[in-house]
Amino acid sequence: MNGGPAIAVEGLTKYYGPVIGIEDLSFDVARGEVYGFLGANGAGKTTTMRLLLDLLRPSRGRAIVMGVDCHRDSLAARRLIGYLPGDLPIYPDLGARDYLSYLSRLDGRRVAPGYLDHLLRRFDVSAIDARRRLREQSHGMKQKIGIIQALMLKPPVAILDEPTAGLDPLMVQAFRETVAELKRAGETTVFLSSHVLAEVESTCDRIGLVRGGRLVTSGTIDDIRRDATRRVTITFADGSPPIVRDVRGPLGPMLASLDGRPIHDVAVEPFRLEDYVAQFYADGAS
Amino acid sequence: MRAMLVRSAAQARYAIVGAYFLLCGFQLVIVGQATEIQRTQSFGRVAELMPAFLQRGLGSRAMLMATFRGTVAFGYFHPVVCLVVVLVAMYIATEPAHEIESGLVDLELARAVPRHRLLTRSLILAEAAIAGAVVLMGIGTVIGARLFGAPVAELPSATTRLHLLLNLAAIASCFAAFALLVAALSRRWTTAFTTAALAAVVLYLMDFLAIGWPLLRNIAWISPFHYYPALSVIAGESALARDITTLAAASVVCAGAAYWFFARRDL
Repeated sequence: MNGGPAIAVEGLTKYYGPVIGIEDLSFDVARGEVYGFLGANGAGKTTTMRLLLDLLRPSRGRAIVMGVDCHRDSLAARRLIGYLPGDLPIYPDLGARDYLSYLSRLDGRRVAPGYLDHLLRRFDVSAIDARRRLREQSHGMKQKIGIIQALMLKPPVAILDEPTAGLDPLMVQAFRETVAELKRAGETTVFLSSHVLAEVESTCDRIGLVRGGRLVTSGTIDDIRRDATRRVTITFADGSPPIVRDVRGPLGPMLASLDGRPIHDVAVEPFRLEDYVAQFYADGAS
Repeated sequence: MRAMLVRSAAQARYAIVGAYFLLCGFQLVIVGQATEIQRTQSFGRVAELMPAFLQRGLGSRAMLMATFRGTVAFGYFHPVVCLVVVLVAMYIATEPAHEIESGLVDLELARAVPRHRLLTRSLILAEAAIAGAVVLMGIGTVIGARLFGAPVAELPSATTRLHLLLNLAAIASCFAAFALLVAALSRRWTTAFTTAALAAVVLYLMDFLAIGWPLLRNIAWISPFHYYPALSVIAGESALARDITTLAAASVVCAGAAYWFFARRDL
């Protein structure tokens, strides 16, 4: 391991025959950062995650986790990762505890003492729930178990594919607290995909938006907020018709262009990540 | 590896235990039947019932089937027995395809588990299941002989029984390796298992029909069952070492190809 980024993706490309999975994808995720990887269905988010885990083999390019090549030194890379798949596969005949115990024994890594219990408590998995067979558990409970299995080893890199899908608001909050806790500790880099943009906004330091297998934008939420187009409505004291404009960047030049007209009010629509992302989705669809 | 083996065994337990009951029970029944036929001295009538094409194809060895020894030994190469042992082995060996289909492979291989471990696990478990099956069949014969008061001296010799069971295990191992190869190339368990199972049935029929159909005799060598000449084993005329070596070589080729493909594919 070196001091470079936690995840470095360089020109990563995956073709499924004639279909583009991802193409020339390049981005970095800094150590200790929480990175939201966004995109519409089929944009290439899961493909990227599965390439990081060497479950898929790249057509070209490479992915590096904590300085380790995900394909050439796949075992060492995977030793650094905790992964939550989008659709959590289960062994229906196992209880949650046995399921977690089995997964922790697969590669000999030790669950941090007390941490598993801490996660079980945080996600409200009671002793009875932990004993019940997974086939009898609700979707939300399985999702909680999925999050726990991904994080129980305190991996340096957690890759979470839609972690809050199917969780109730309390558990979404528990997830946010867990991510915040990991961020504070600074030992885990979180790379997550989600369609719940409010959650991304509240948990992620940076986001990357992928469309048609290509990264179309990347930056911190603040950068994006600054860069985003905002709808500004100016009403005048003299009763003249209001001006409604989509403004990018500071408002100064726009206000200066009013030549001293008597402003009654300036209303700026608050930045909404949903609108920003939806604009990219819509551009891709058109 | 141990955790994966235990988990896979638990997953396949119903198929394994069910097959074991069937195989062991089959030996009890066949020993009981042979004892009854022997007691009523009806083996002559059994010989009369044998189809003419079998008598022509098998020659003098066909008459072994109409003896107490041959009937008891039939429990080791009856089509149902052969196919049950083979199918159980293939059921276990195709588990990697199930793991891909269900997504379990994402959980297992998201950890520092080498890809080849999934195949090795399935292969070890399949071999263990085969070993368990043939051992239980042997035990079934002994229990049957005691239970029905069979004439112990007229049972197939222990060496003959051992050779038959070894040969059967070698065939099942060969099919397990073939099933592993199919699983290593598949995304769906049903595709993998059905392909492997159909291949086993077709290859069995090919070998069986080759007894009376000269055209098939020319290509019967491709069937693993061709290397299980049970009546020759009973008659003490088989080239057991050659047959087992051939089956083992085919197993190694199939398993090797499975490892090669699995290491390179997208999961």
